[in-house]
Amino acid sequence: MPGHTLEESLLQSAVRVEDPASIDGEEIDVAVDRDRLSGATDTAASFQFDGEDHTLGNALRYIIMKNPDVEFCGYSIPHPSEAKMNLRIQTYDGVSVHAVLEKGLDDLMAMCGVVEKKFQLARDEFVANRMEH
Amino acid sequence: MSGYQPTNGATGTGTTQAQPVVDERSRAVTYSCGDCDQEVQLKRGEPIRCRNCGHRVLYKQRTNRMVQFEAR
Amino acid sequence: MPVPSAEELTKRKRVEVGIETVSNQASTDFPGHWPGESHEWDIEHFEKKFDIRFHKYHPHDAEFSLVGIDTSVANAFRRIMLAEIPTLAIETVFINQNTSIVQDEVLAHRLGLIPLQGSKEGLDWMRWYHQPTEDDPGSGSPSDYNCVQLHLDVKCEWQEDGLKRVAQGETDPDRLYTGHNVYARDIVYTPTGKQHDIFDKEPIKPVHPQILIAKLRPKQEITLMMHAVKGVGQDHAKFSPVATASYRLLPTIDITKPIVGADAKKFARCFPRKVIALEEVTAQDVQEHPELKGQEGEAKAVVADPMSDTVSRECLRHAEFKAKVKLGRVRDHFIFRVESTGQRDSDELFLESVRLLKVKCQRIKRGLNEMMR
Repeated sequence: MPGHTLEESLLQSAVRVEDPASIDGEEIDVAVDRDRLSGATDTAASFQFDGEDHTLGNALRYIIMKNPDVEFCGYSIPHPSEAKMNLRIQTYDGVSVHAVLEKGLDDLMAMCGVVEKKFQLARDEFVANRMEH
Repeated sequence: MSGYQPTNGATGTGTTQAQPVVDERSRAVTYSCGDCDQEVQLKRGEPIRCRNCGHRVLYKQRTNRMVQFEAR
Repeated sequence: MPVPSAEELTKRKRVEVGIETVSNQASTDFPGHWPGESHEWDIEHFEKKFDIRFHKYHPHDAEFSLVGIDTSVANAFRRIMLAEIPTLAIETVFINQNTSIVQDEVLAHRLGLIPLQGSKEGLDWMRWYHQPTEDDPGSGSPSDYNCVQLHLDVKCEWQEDGLKRVAQGETDPDRLYTGHNVYARDIVYTPTGKQHDIFDKEPIKPVHPQILIAKLRPKQEITLMMHAVKGVGQDHAKFSPVATASYRLLPTIDITKPIVGADAKKFARCFPRKVIALEEVTAQDVQEHPELKGQEGEAKAVVADPMSDTVSRECLRHAEFKAKVKLGRVRDHFIFRVESTGQRDSDELFLESVRLLKVKCQRIKRGLNEMMR
């Protein structure tokens, strides 16, 4: 966990960790798991994406929901005038949220690759068939 | 110091710089006659009348200064 | 693990269109929704089930279907095509003279909306231009790699016998004046610096040379210079590379009970022309539907081409057959129509939008890795 431990924290406050490196800034807003018995705190987190909207939000949410380890995934846009998107992921049984997010991004990239390949094949075939007639 | 107008984006502006007139006596401004549409040059102090038709209403022509606009 | 029947699968993918309501729109292919079934993300399964079919292919107008993809991703492609693919358009207009009756700002606005085309490699080579900010008016950096200079110089004059013709009653401007219509083809491109080489074969010019920009009368003139830069549709609609990019879902028409005779003809008229065909009632039909006895040879309504349907639901307004037909849409069959404005080809635009979605994910992933360190 980058830079803080929540198990000791008695306050159920959100901790913000900012990433200054990327233009599409991301902050982790880790909500403390209210059920103290389960213990695992990196199974529920909200991510804030700057400069993103429904385009990426809905697609990412769909792909992450296809992951059977995910208990909950949803995105929201706090205000339409600001280009910020919040994505919340809750997982079952101690699966790391970051791993789930990374897998979701990888899956979406793989899907784009398949779409690109099939599109080029279909287009070339269509053009070739048209040339023959 | 010459006056400077900062650009204000939304509807386009004139980016101009007022300059002191160099020689008031030799500067002649061209106007357009209201009737016959002829160009009339007048210097300071000259009576305001068209050379051709004698019409006394003259219109000033559009400035030649460059004006900048956002194509939005 | 229970495998759902083919009928169940088509039912799950069917959005039901009723006379006043639409139901079953939400996709349900998530793990845990259907007990016993695994809907886990599987790239091989996706690759097998996913299909693309082309219907029309013209350079600036393409129609194709994406079958087997979810709404959220298809919509992402559509949104990126509209708003996030960079395009070249006129951004700043420097007017030296405008004595036409079109106001300066209106003229500038019209010039911004003119679609421009140029060599594709050149457009990709160009970099982004940063506008000078309010605090630092000198910070703008127009250069040959981010700015394209264009000129427009038009003056309207009388034709040689123009005044004489007017006296005779002639009113046609083509016979009276020269240069009275300012068209997009009057815009002149002057390459600067490296643009001489890059835009050598395909210089930058308007896609439609016959766009009318302004009308002039004798002694009116327009003298201006323009800067065209790269931008995205999110910033201003003039930067959108598509006239529009849209999709619709494939409509379905299920005739549950046979419609024959005059009803069939009326039914066919409720839809656009090619959608419903009329066939003859055969003996086999009478066997399957005993109520058709005695009606052999009559016209029977049959669905021929559901893709041309516009789902106006007109057939649901008539009591004769509104109980015999079910309208719907297939939830994962998207018929895309991409109409380009001319700067890039339609198929290139779709490929570009797929690549851009991938780039977005890569950027987020890089940010995530930086954050995790």
